[in-house]
Amino acid sequence: MSMDMLIAKDLAVSAALADGTVPVIQELNFSLPQGKILGLVGESGAGKSMIGRTVAQLLPPGFAVSSGELMFNGQDLVRMPAETRRELLGREIAFVPQEPLSGLNPVLTIGQQIDEHLARLNVGNRRERRARALDMLAAVHLPRPADLLGKYPHQLSGGMCQRVLIAMAFASRPKLLIADEPTTALDVTIQARIVQLIAEMQRNEGTSVIFITHDLRLAAQICDSIMVLYAGRPAEYGPAREVFARPAHPYTRCLQLSNPSMSGSGRGLYALPERMPGLSALKGINGCLFGPRCPSVVEACNRRQPPYVASENGHLAACVRCETTPAIAAPALVDVGAPVLGEPLLKVEGLTKTFRIDSSFFRRSDFTAVKDVNFTLHQNEFIGIVGESGSGKSTVARMMCGLEKLTAGSLTIAGRDVSDGSKASQAHQRAHVQMVFQDPQSALNPRRKVASIVTQAMEATNDGDWGERLARAEALLSEIGLPPEAATRFPSQLSGGQKQRVNIARALCVAPNILVADEIVSGLDVSVQAQLLNLLLRLRRERHFSMLFISHDLSVVRYLCDRVLVMYRGEVVESGPTAEVFADPRHPYTRTLLAAVPPDDPSAIWKPQPVEGESAAVCEAMVANA
Amino acid sequence: MIRVLPPWLRSGRVLAGLVIVAIIGLCAVFAPYLAPHDPNEQNLVSTLLPPAWTEGGDVSFLLGTDSLGRDVLSRLIYGARVAMMVAVFASLGAMLLGAVLAYIAGYFGGRVDALIGRAVDVWMSFPPVVLSLILMVGLGVGLRNVILAIIVVDWTRFCRVLRAEVMVVARKDYVSAARLVGFSHWRTITREIVPATLPLLITLVSLEMGIAVIVEAILSFVGMSVSATTPAWGQMVADARQYIYDNPWNLMFPIFTIFLAVFGFNMLGDGLRRTLDVRVTATQRV
Repeated sequence: MSMDMLIAKDLAVSAALADGTVPVIQELNFSLPQGKILGLVGESGAGKSMIGRTVAQLLPPGFAVSSGELMFNGQDLVRMPAETRRELLGREIAFVPQEPLSGLNPVLTIGQQIDEHLARLNVGNRRERRARALDMLAAVHLPRPADLLGKYPHQLSGGMCQRVLIAMAFASRPKLLIADEPTTALDVTIQARIVQLIAEMQRNEGTSVIFITHDLRLAAQICDSIMVLYAGRPAEYGPAREVFARPAHPYTRCLQLSNPSMSGSGRGLYALPERMPGLSALKGINGCLFGPRCPSVVEACNRRQPPYVASENGHLAACVRCETTPAIAAPALVDVGAPVLGEPLLKVEGLTKTFRIDSSFFRRSDFTAVKDVNFTLHQNEFIGIVGESGSGKSTVARMMCGLEKLTAGSLTIAGRDVSDGSKASQAHQRAHVQMVFQDPQSALNPRRKVASIVTQAMEATNDGDWGERLARAEALLSEIGLPPEAATRFPSQLSGGQKQRVNIARALCVAPNILVADEIVSGLDVSVQAQLLNLLLRLRRERHFSMLFISHDLSVVRYLCDRVLVMYRGEVVESGPTAEVFADPRHPYTRTLLAAVPPDDPSAIWKPQPVEGESAAVCEAMVANA
Repeated sequence: MIRVLPPWLRSGRVLAGLVIVAIIGLCAVFAPYLAPHDPNEQNLVSTLLPPAWTEGGDVSFLLGTDSLGRDVLSRLIYGARVAMMVAVFASLGAMLLGAVLAYIAGYFGGRVDALIGRAVDVWMSFPPVVLSLILMVGLGVGLRNVILAIIVVDWTRFCRVLRAEVMVVARKDYVSAARLVGFSHWRTITREIVPATLPLLITLVSLEMGIAVIVEAILSFVGMSVSATTPAWGQMVADARQYIYDNPWNLMFPIFTIFLAVFGFNMLGDGLRRTLDVRVTATQRV
């Protein structure tokens, strides 16, 4: 029997708020055997990162472990003196951060940073450390390690930086690795490679890993056991496949159902109402924390926190009605049939965008971001554009709205060619095309109230007084599912999902025929994402608009869009009806993209392929150019 | 009671700065009522008197008299008029010129930005004090010309700092969104960008006021500011300099007053920066 590397026993962390202390983590119990991977899954605010911080004792001010213990290799991490812990961290316990770029020092070269790290680990002299560094970089499949040592972090891509960090994390042959969402900041195709890399290193070194993620499907793929957290309390804990195949807790089931599937016929998304209670709201809940959102809640649930119920294989769930969980089903997809395609609304021919880059005062070079893109968008049609960052998909979006001028090609909107960019063309374009921006934080002016944001289009034309605008805002808010009170709030008083709804409402104010949505669900939790996707489908049924939906998430595009364009380095490499393209991808890049998504069935073999973007040739080109 | 105050009024620095600035401001406005003597009235029998509380002091000349027997306290109070006029009008003028150019440069970018940026660079490469001295020589003395000289020298400070901030705000998606719903450039700048940069602007103005007080003091010290009949702090320092061994108090009072005024404006500016700037976190706002 292998030894348990990390054991949590009734661990609880509490936070001191203005009105008393609140539990941030409670009743945390798990044991992580040597050489195994434990997945901590949950949405933002579930407390998953707090566990990593507890291990490192890097809790934010006001947060403290209130009871329980966290045994690492037989020593209690919570109560050990700071000095002992410092010895352990970075040596026996290593971390891979979420943001690779912030994990590296921007003013030191990769070589200097690795050398510093190895020197701390007392690895020989300078020459030995250099040799070791080269081995390490080769082990994480980075090409031309000798050249890499002299580069600065900003000269490398995010994926390469993350590889460097992984190499450094494994340099000390740690017993425990904590990976806190190591792939969220990276492209899908690179995500898959990084996850596989961590798994590979873990296998070779026999390391125990805590893998923190919001993606249940991904966790089921690579983890041995999974713990699903909800509002700081484990909802379900058990063997990974078991938890994924037979979720016992309603929350796990709902999470699964709120994520669009990648195979089989389309199903509706289960959209959990509301959102996870925040720290200050936790005090008001006496019973099951998930109770207020649970589809199978009964009176008894609200009396006290449900105890853990065990089934076979040590599968635990904090629910008194586990037996009803399998019955929770996603709503049937509202069958609109094949959407009735109307007139062609938007016609794009030979669309090209070239940026001029002034590398110095005397040297200029051109960068073609979008090259000869053609497509037609019909009324009532949703077209998805997928591709990695830098593929030019956002530039296409910005050109559609007139935020970027066309270098070449033509753009016809509702029968009028607007590519000349004249005042009249711009007005025409504005009346027909509106954009929903990616980051609601940056897209909503923090100094305006929601009503004023939503009715900005009326302000632009000096339309109506404040009373009329408020009435219009309230009508729009009810359409997108926000209460009328929200009209007088500021964006900072809304949650991420609510902000994104306001973002959509603003675009709908002028009643455009075409919406351009640039990664509008990428920063959101799956349950909120499901709410928004269902909202968009409902709005289409009511308003019959068309949409250009830009996303890196293939499952979302599969759920939402009728047709899909796959972009790679500024060019459309494949296009067609979504179902067809996903079922039978022709272009190798499309295949790579599809293979990067973990399959729905965790027992299926997941074999992400190296993309050209990550392959040796391109990495070398990057290194050489930088 | 405290709760209804806006956060920027709750800051100790802002309050301290406001109190100092308000006292000096009141002195300036009500100088004829507050000053015990005419600031230019010479009393040649009692020159270079020390302050009233020291040996040989005279109660009717609270802070003593200068070499011509003029009352130091009255001159300080009247001197606040020049200082405050210059502080307010010069900083507002410099802000107006600098901010307009900064909004244009930061918002439109490209060639306009390059042009304005170069102009600022060239302008800033002149030593500011020398430039203002040359300007004063060319323009001639007088309150209006002092203000003008400071504006012409100091607008670059606003332009440079503000331009960077405008560029950050102009890249926000909500600015693009405003353009998309049909906002004109003018409306986008006034409704979306100016409100976002207002805290910085207010902070810069209050810091510039302190700087304007110093520049005016320097100019009047070398006799390049207002005419000799108008009391100014810098002038008082210059006059007292010759009698530093006979009556050091004469030198200390105007210097302390200048210090106090600048300190007040800086406290105000620093306090406002801490409370109005959204990037400063709550913990730093003490």
